[in-house]
Amino acid sequence: MLKRHFREWSVAFALVLLLAILAVAAPAFYQGQPLLSLMAREAPTLVVACGMALVIIGRQIDISVGSQFAICSVCAGLLAAMKWPLALALPAAIAVGAVMGTVNGALVAGLRLPSIVVTLATMVTWREGLRWLRQGEFVNLPDNAQWFGFGQAAGQWTLIFAAVVLFILMVMGMRHLSAGRFVHAVGSDAEAARLAGIRPQFVTFATFVLIGALTGLAAGMNVVQSPQVDPKSGTGLELKTIAAVVVGGVAISGGRGSLWGVFAGLLLLACVSPALTHLHVQAYWEKAIQGAIILLAVVADGLRSKTIKHN
Amino acid sequence: MNRLLAFIVAAGLVFGAGCNKSTDSSSSAGSPGGKKLSIALMPKSKGNAYFISCKAGADEAAKELGVELLFDGPTDPDPAKQNEIVDNWIALGVDAIAVACENKEGISTALRKARQKGIKVLTYDSDATPDAREFFVNQATPEGIGYTLMDEAARLTGEEGDFAVITASLTAANMNEWRKYIEARLAEKYPKMKLVTVRPCDDLKDKAQSETTALLSAYPNVKLVMAICSPAVPGAAEAVKQAGKAGTVKVIGLGLPSENRRYVKDGVTQSVILWKTVDLGYLTVQATTALAKGELKPGATEFKAGRLGAMEIKGDNILLGKPFIFNKENIDQFDF
Repeated sequence: MLKRHFREWSVAFALVLLLAILAVAAPAFYQGQPLLSLMAREAPTLVVACGMALVIIGRQIDISVGSQFAICSVCAGLLAAMKWPLALALPAAIAVGAVMGTVNGALVAGLRLPSIVVTLATMVTWREGLRWLRQGEFVNLPDNAQWFGFGQAAGQWTLIFAAVVLFILMVMGMRHLSAGRFVHAVGSDAEAARLAGIRPQFVTFATFVLIGALTGLAAGMNVVQSPQVDPKSGTGLELKTIAAVVVGGVAISGGRGSLWGVFAGLLLLACVSPALTHLHVQAYWEKAIQGAIILLAVVADGLRSKTIKHN
Repeated sequence: MNRLLAFIVAAGLVFGAGCNKSTDSSSSAGSPGGKKLSIALMPKSKGNAYFISCKAGADEAAKELGVELLFDGPTDPDPAKQNEIVDNWIALGVDAIAVACENKEGISTALRKARQKGIKVLTYDSDATPDAREFFVNQATPEGIGYTLMDEAARLTGEEGDFAVITASLTAANMNEWRKYIEARLAEKYPKMKLVTVRPCDDLKDKAQSETTALLSAYPNVKLVMAICSPAVPGAAEAVKQAGKAGTVKVIGLGLPSENRRYVKDGVTQSVILWKTVDLGYLTVQATTALAKGELKPGATEFKAGRLGAMEIKGDNILLGKPFIFNKENIDQFDF
């Protein structure tokens, strides 16, 4: 068990180590409200990272999630500002995300174009289109939209709960549903999957639609956390989620990885920035340290696959 | 050559006065020729509330000076459309043009062409290349911004205690310039205040919120958060509000009133610092008119701008002066 999930355990170990260092060096890190806020802020990222894990396990990549997130956020915000109830505005955001995912999926699976190029193009198109439309202007939400109209703590717990439930459902789906196994199969060897009766192109298409819908959901989960929507929101989300996926032990070459590892990877990366603030480390180091963590994960994967080949 | 050109233009103005411009007999304050000067003013985009309030000041100045004001710009910030409009104005034979440039290089060629035709050119809000215009109406100097932020922080904290700065990035040139003046002012005037940390937010509201949340728990003595990029002001305010520290931890920053109104009214954000856009429009039209009349010449060090009084000129920058502070009392008067 330990050996089979060595990568996942090593990330979890790093996370525990970081938390232990904080407990000794900066106990102020463990305060209810800031921690709750941190988790609520990362809940949407977890939702997108789950989708990203599926896409990468399926041997593709989607770097347009940040732009999709921004579009979905602004859509949800504008609908809420037009007095749509959140019960309609949030599903609308999910639908918009799914539509953008469909575009990516159709281009990648239908026309067999490389996903990195397709999603690079859609990333720029969505982002610039939004800039042109909104000119950077914030969307102001009605007063009752924040925290779904609940109190702050209740709203934050709701978001964390929703993200965790979704995560567990996806873990179970990947393990027990044939669709989950199809994604692994296509990512390992698309030709073998095809011979086994799986339609690889359809599986690829479906993962892109799914990550779009999840990104829409995540955008909605972010919109309700503040009274206004920044049209630049989601910038850098692709890096954050891909980093979490890679650090969490998902092979960038597809076919291997688990959502638990992604969960640990995301928590580790999410804690780095506040941890450095608490340790009074200059902000210059933040990105360098996050980069070093990613590098370490990639090198570990590289060494591992080398030893496997040798054996 | 220049003198010849100027002569031709002057002659053209005098002779052409009657035919291609609207002549308003009620105007007596116009140019020596007795005709009304026509001044063209271009925003980055027409629908933008920021520029609409600039226009209010511009209209005021135009009325005072008795000049005809043309106000036109792209519906969306579009450098190509800006060029097109400048070309139209050249064809129309306006006396002077003032532009807020969307793209520095993009518009400079068109502006140089206008200058060759003898039209006086001035920029405001955002500059073109220096050879494409005579003056730039500079709404805020780094010194003015830095000092105003620091003075306001000192005023709100009683000149003592810890404070933190949220910036866009640690490498952004303009913000580092502001920080230099913030720190200079701090060292010079407020020995009991201490800048404990500077956190970057990548110019994102969400990141500013996360950074502020972390720094409030990491530095419990922080009494004020100063956000020096505009998305960071509401981001920091939201974090302070969520931490339940509204009022005890003050928030100030550089930003737009519209993005911060809610927090200012709730008492989370105390001060939002920017310039008075109405005055920017007013000064621009004052300066453009003076330039067209030949009252304002390169090399001048001061300029009398109507109700604003004497404005300082540094090099070819006409300075609007100290930034303006928006707070609970006045923020409702501004809708950009």
